Amino acid sequence: MPKYSWPDKPALLSTPVKRLDGPEKVMGRARYSYDISRPGLIYGRIVRSPYPHARIVSVDLSAAQKAPGVKAALAWKEPGTQVMYQGDPVAAVAADTEERARDAARLVRVRYEPLPHLANVEQAMADTAPAVFPGGNTRQGTQDETGNLPDGFAKAAHIVDATYSTHVITHVCLETHGCVCEWDGDKLTAWISTQAVIQSAQQFAQALGIPQGNVHCITQYMGGGFGSKFGPDAQGIICAKLAKAANAPVKLMLDRKEEHLDTGNRPSATAHIRAGVAADGTLTAFDAQSWGTGGAGAGSGFPLPYIYNFPNRKRVHRDVYINAGQQRAMRAPGHPQGCFLTEILMDELADQVKMDPVAFRIKNLPAAGPNAMWAQYFADGAKRFGWDKRHATGDPTRGPIKTGMGVSAHRWGGAGRGSRAHADIMSDGTVVVKCGTQDIGTGTRTIVAVVAAETFGLPVSAVKVEIGDSTLPFSGGSGGSTTAASVTPAIRVTCTDALAALFAKVAPTLGAAADDLAAEGGRIHVKGNASKSVAWKDACKLIGTEPIAVDGQWQDGLSGAGTSGVQFAEATVDIETGIVKVSRILAMQDCGLIVDKLTAESQAYGGVIAAINFALFEDRILDRVTGQMVNPNMEWYLLAGMSDVPKIDIVLNNMPERGVIGIGEPPTVSTASAIANAVRNATGATIRSLPLHPHKVLAALDQQKAGGTN
Amino acid sequence: MSVSRRDFLKSAGVTSLATAVTTVAAPEAGAQTGPRVVGPGDVPVVLTVNGKRLELTIEPRVTLLDALRTRADLTGNKRVCDRGACGACTMIVDGRTVYSCSTLAIEVQGKQIRTVDGLAAGGALHPVQQAFCDVDALMCGFCTPGFVVATVAVLEKHPNATREQITKGLDGNICRCGTFVRVMEAALRARNPPPQSAIRNPQSAMELSRA
Repeated sequence: MPKYSWPDKPALLSTPVKRLDGPEKVMGRARYSYDISRPGLIYGRIVRSPYPHARIVSVDLSAAQKAPGVKAALAWKEPGTQVMYQGDPVAAVAADTEERARDAARLVRVRYEPLPHLANVEQAMADTAPAVFPGGNTRQGTQDETGNLPDGFAKAAHIVDATYSTHVITHVCLETHGCVCEWDGDKLTAWISTQAVIQSAQQFAQALGIPQGNVHCITQYMGGGFGSKFGPDAQGIICAKLAKAANAPVKLMLDRKEEHLDTGNRPSATAHIRAGVAADGTLTAFDAQSWGTGGAGAGSGFPLPYIYNFPNRKRVHRDVYINAGQQRAMRAPGHPQGCFLTEILMDELADQVKMDPVAFRIKNLPAAGPNAMWAQYFADGAKRFGWDKRHATGDPTRGPIKTGMGVSAHRWGGAGRGSRAHADIMSDGTVVVKCGTQDIGTGTRTIVAVVAAETFGLPVSAVKVEIGDSTLPFSGGSGGSTTAASVTPAIRVTCTDALAALFAKVAPTLGAAADDLAAEGGRIHVKGNASKSVAWKDACKLIGTEPIAVDGQWQDGLSGAGTSGVQFAEATVDIETGIVKVSRILAMQDCGLIVDKLTAESQAYGGVIAAINFALFEDRILDRVTGQMVNPNMEWYLLAGMSDVPKIDIVLNNMPERGVIGIGEPPTVSTASAIANAVRNATGATIRSLPLHPHKVLAALDQQKAGGTN
Repeated sequence: MSVSRRDFLKSAGVTSLATAVTTVAAPEAGAQTGPRVVGPGDVPVVLTVNGKRLELTIEPRVTLLDALRTRADLTGNKRVCDRGACGACTMIVDGRTVYSCSTLAIEVQGKQIRTVDGLAAGGALHPVQQAFCDVDALMCGFCTPGFVVATVAVLEKHPNATREQITKGLDGNICRCGTFVRVMEAALRARNPPPQSAIRNPQSAMELSRA
């Protein structure tokens, strides 16, 4: 048996454990960066470009500097430089109240020389497009080719040739990006809303030219990141500079419009695909030209084709630049796009060979494995969902409300990586576990406590968890669903070693070798002899004045990589209004060893609901003439409310033998594709682009009436 | 004290809107009758928040949310959309839910204002708060204060609220993490809170001394 392993019969692991910081959050006592108050706190405000593309002629701060309450003002962009998107930061001010900071920001006089801009992909790819980006408006991306494409098409009995696309959405973190910065001489403390507290300290130090040891970042609570919060960004550096200039702590939290414009987005994806299928339902060929935009100078990659075996395939991708805020990682970056583009095609191909979509998918899956459980999930899920009640494409019932079912599969990585931890056991029985990770709402604080409590045989309440601070032992940023798989092994290793040190102290008292001791139910006992035991508190009295203090780090063997999932959706479509309503979702998902069943399930619910937004509601709309965002708010940038949430059935497949694997991202990949396929099944009309807004549904129905698109 | 929209808008510098509002909202400044002109600049504002009197000196344009968050350090309710679209700032004013980001502090003087900060009595969670914890009806927690307050308001109005009534009551709140399913579960559960939680509670788990 390896020195470090997960217990065979856990007391806490994989059970529902309530979120450790739930009470603080529901009482409003959890202090987010947005809530931090410091003596003498003043407020920062950024002046941003209203133009999607312009040259800065001059920045005049003089009027702003004279405005009431203003303590500092700075130019962020130099004259002669360019702004590349609406919302590009240009200057900033700080004043004693937020209202006065806003007033002063309006007094900053920036002269712009507007330049030609590209408001969408079509404009950027047009032959007549102005050359906006150095090196061209598009850039060659991924190119791969496998097998023999002409052979593949020769074997095809049917070919589908169509264009599929997904749109740009923004992260809409409820707590906007920002921080509070306070200087003490040349030392900076930043309370920052981030997914990477240690990496933020590194980036502050680098940008400000101060030693990393002089920066202290704190993130006890943060209000959502979804891939967009991995550092101070411009607003963090501006905040630090304003605080330095004003010699006062500065709070600079972005407003909702800035959040939409300048804190990332999910890139668009489009692919013109030609795909072939043999008469027996075997996929034979896939030929795609794809493109997408990640905004001003950022890439737009995504996997294509997704999951299924196309033995002969070719894919050529181009990144397209437009004058809009740059993309950032967003919940399973690339996968929702690649999944949608492939999965709609899959249903069209299945119809060509008149196969059931589930059977068709199972026939074309890659080899099964512990990280590739699709065949099982398709079969089990179909049974659980009532797939046998699905009608063929096009609901034959009379009336305007049509119902349909759809299905989709996905995968994700979620592997662990280097993370350190520290554990203290004090002589009064106190246990403190420290790790420089952060809880972005996924429950990291809670799973640290669960793993420590499991290891020490204590209740969760007996463990004091310290996270969210850059002075703690190193851990990575919370991205790629890597946190659980990185942090929990580090905690397990560290606490196992700390417990061994305690056993060494207790062994003489119990008259047994340290190796023969076990910790369970708040006691330390001799293995196989529960009567020879001592209570945790009494055991700790033997520690003496110097506490047990152990450092440890992530080791291989306690975490895994690779998850798979399948989702089923049922939707109704009103063919008179084009309105789609999702009625049911079933999510079959694995994530290795489940640490906390409650918080793991919450992540799966959250992923599904996020993807309902992607499928039906949210859409970053840029005006095609001005290049400005039309809906940089939360009333026209639509997100689901309680009425829009369907019945969601989450089935988590606990696989302890695989170790811990992250679950933050995978459940959000498939939902939109499954919904779109349900809409297709309901109406018989194929909508090949997201979002499934009513006008698109109606247009697809009209097209279908006019003779169909296949 | 009453304040005309016109004065607020003038002090906020939104002159184009102010012109449109003048004819219906207020007489000309200096007239003998009608609302008294206050501001621009700081004015005294007295609020009753969670049963306590709160004396502030703020500009008339300051919202109820900002007044409590930045002048009284009551940061439980959050600022998210700042335009009355997401519900994170939901407070209860004289028994009705309001978007405090879109309510002027100066307009709610003399009214009973309840925020999330005041719901837990003496450290004991309100049944709605307990239910949110029990079923994990929260993730990042930034929308949670608004949802908690909105749920409290629904259940005070309809102690045996149906699923439909709860949905209606919470439809003005948005969560980005996607906690809706469990928020509904929590709201239903809070109607008749169970005496003993079936789920492990870090707060009530067995004590070390009893171990």
